[in-house]
Amino acid sequence: MNQNMYQAGVSLLNALSRHADLIMHTYMSGTVDESKYSAKVIESLMQQDVLWRPDGESKIRLKHAVRNLLEGSLKDERNRQIDANIGSALNSLKTLAAHYKEAIYHQRYAEAEAHLSDLGEHVYALTESMSNNVRVLFSRINNEFGYVSSIDAKIRENELAQSQVSELLSQLELFRFDELSELAGSNRELRQLLVVTLQHSFSRATQELSIVQGRLLELLGRFREFRGRTRLLKGFLLHMEQKPDFAPGNYTNLTQVPMLFNQAESIIKPASVDVNRVEHENDLQVLVGNIKALNRIARGADEDRKASVIQVEEQAEVSFVEDEYKQAVEAYFCHVIDTGERLTALQYHEKQSLNFDPEVWIYQVIGGYHGLSFEEQQYFAIDTTGHPDPVYDGNFIIEDVELGLR
Amino acid sequence: MMTEQGRVLELLLSGAFICQVSDEDAWRFIKTSGNSEKLESQLNMLNRTLASAADGDVFFAAYLTLSEKERKVIGAQFQEVSANLLPLVEWLLLIQQANGSDVPVTSGSALRLSEIQSVIEDTPAYAEQLEKISRYRMFGSTSTQLDGQLKQVFKRLTDLGYLLKPNQEKQIYIATGKIEYLYEVIRFIDETEALSLTEQAESAVQQGSLL
Repeated sequence: MNQNMYQAGVSLLNALSRHADLIMHTYMSGTVDESKYSAKVIESLMQQDVLWRPDGESKIRLKHAVRNLLEGSLKDERNRQIDANIGSALNSLKTLAAHYKEAIYHQRYAEAEAHLSDLGEHVYALTESMSNNVRVLFSRINNEFGYVSSIDAKIRENELAQSQVSELLSQLELFRFDELSELAGSNRELRQLLVVTLQHSFSRATQELSIVQGRLLELLGRFREFRGRTRLLKGFLLHMEQKPDFAPGNYTNLTQVPMLFNQAESIIKPASVDVNRVEHENDLQVLVGNIKALNRIARGADEDRKASVIQVEEQAEVSFVEDEYKQAVEAYFCHVIDTGERLTALQYHEKQSLNFDPEVWIYQVIGGYHGLSFEEQQYFAIDTTGHPDPVYDGNFIIEDVELGLR
Repeated sequence: MMTEQGRVLELLLSGAFICQVSDEDAWRFIKTSGNSEKLESQLNMLNRTLASAADGDVFFAAYLTLSEKERKVIGAQFQEVSANLLPLVEWLLLIQQANGSDVPVTSGSALRLSEIQSVIEDTPAYAEQLEKISRYRMFGSTSTQLDGQLKQVFKRLTDLGYLLKPNQEKQIYIATGKIEYLYEVIRFIDETEALSLTEQAESAVQQGSLL
């Protein structure tokens, strides 16, 4: 018998691991996609009580036990189920304890041993389910019911959790440690299981549940506050839609102005600089430095530096006048070359009756001579006539220049 | 060296709202027992008094006695506040919807501009709503682009002290205590004018007509 059970268990677990893919898909989506998996596999899993079909019409689902196993091991927050049936668990504990005591009394030790291990199993299952329930509640609080999005849904979730907490607490009241201790009597094993282990987990569960309850109330308060705010805003919008010309009365005209609307004007203006304060000297110098830099930038916008249209015609005329001088100077040089005579600039000026200012003309001639290349200058001899300045010595006033061939 | 008290006093006199988000040090200073009395006596000298809103979340300076001149100032302020109510309420609801979590904007809420923008871009109804909001005189956007409208709205709200941009490089804004002040103003108007706004919204939800 035992060997058979062992074999069956191993083959069940093997089936679970072989079809892990199918099971996880079903766990996530809720139902089996029958088109994706072979009918034979599904059939065999149904026979092993892993899958089942609730009724002829509906789709195939995971068995609750498998689901529970996965939820517990994966710490899935979607798990909202709280197993609060402590009363019946306690009753079965009492029954098993009575069996054990009876077997001891009749000295059937092998039987007693089996009952004790069964009892231990039940006690640990009970403590585990209690701590599991508390953990489930905590995980939902810790992410503030993040698996639902709207505030209203969060409030509903919170109310569900609160009712579960009070249910758990009322179930915990069923623990009667005086009865349990009486039942255990002087038996060491029974005391260990029924009194020590259970009491330990009981006190921890009640302690944690009271924390959970506090947190839930706090969260509910916050959610209600959020909902209140949202409703306030939406209500205001609705009101403005119905009465677009609504304007609140001017409360500032009341004799007792509400503090909310009594907001004083700013009266602090920047202080002025005290240039006589020695300790500010450095800072002020930096500031002055910045001002200089600013000035340079500001000059970019100067009115005088603005781009203006260049008058091309006028410039051409000016260059024409210069051209005239140049031509006259060249003509003078050519005349000297042609005739081979020495001729002063003013004599040429007079002869040709040029209408330039004599002084400008002399400058042009000197400039023209120096404007020649060195080799060309070799052909000419230039001499100046004039007199030293009567007042400032070292200055020589040129009255005329004489040009000749060398 | 200026003392903390001097700094807080200057903030109050310059018309600032002091909350935990905008200036935690100053806020804690006022909260510390004894300090508010010291500030009070200094403020009284200038015809001001320390006022708080939203259960002590926000502090600001109010006038101690109101003469003609002060009434004119707060009258003008009130006109501005009541004119800004509708745009602000519409904005708050838009952000709440675009955030996806259905949680109202409160003091300390972080608003990520890029996330909000992508939600609004993907939802034409929100984009329309944003365009409407940005056209209010309070925000004064002339942009035809969603990006520009959103930035302008957030910029104005930052200027007005409703939002804070802790890092200039990042487009993340934090709501200040002035938002709480705003809720209180609406709550006050609701009570004083007996508008029963909450009930209106509730019945509208039940009828499923809107929202």
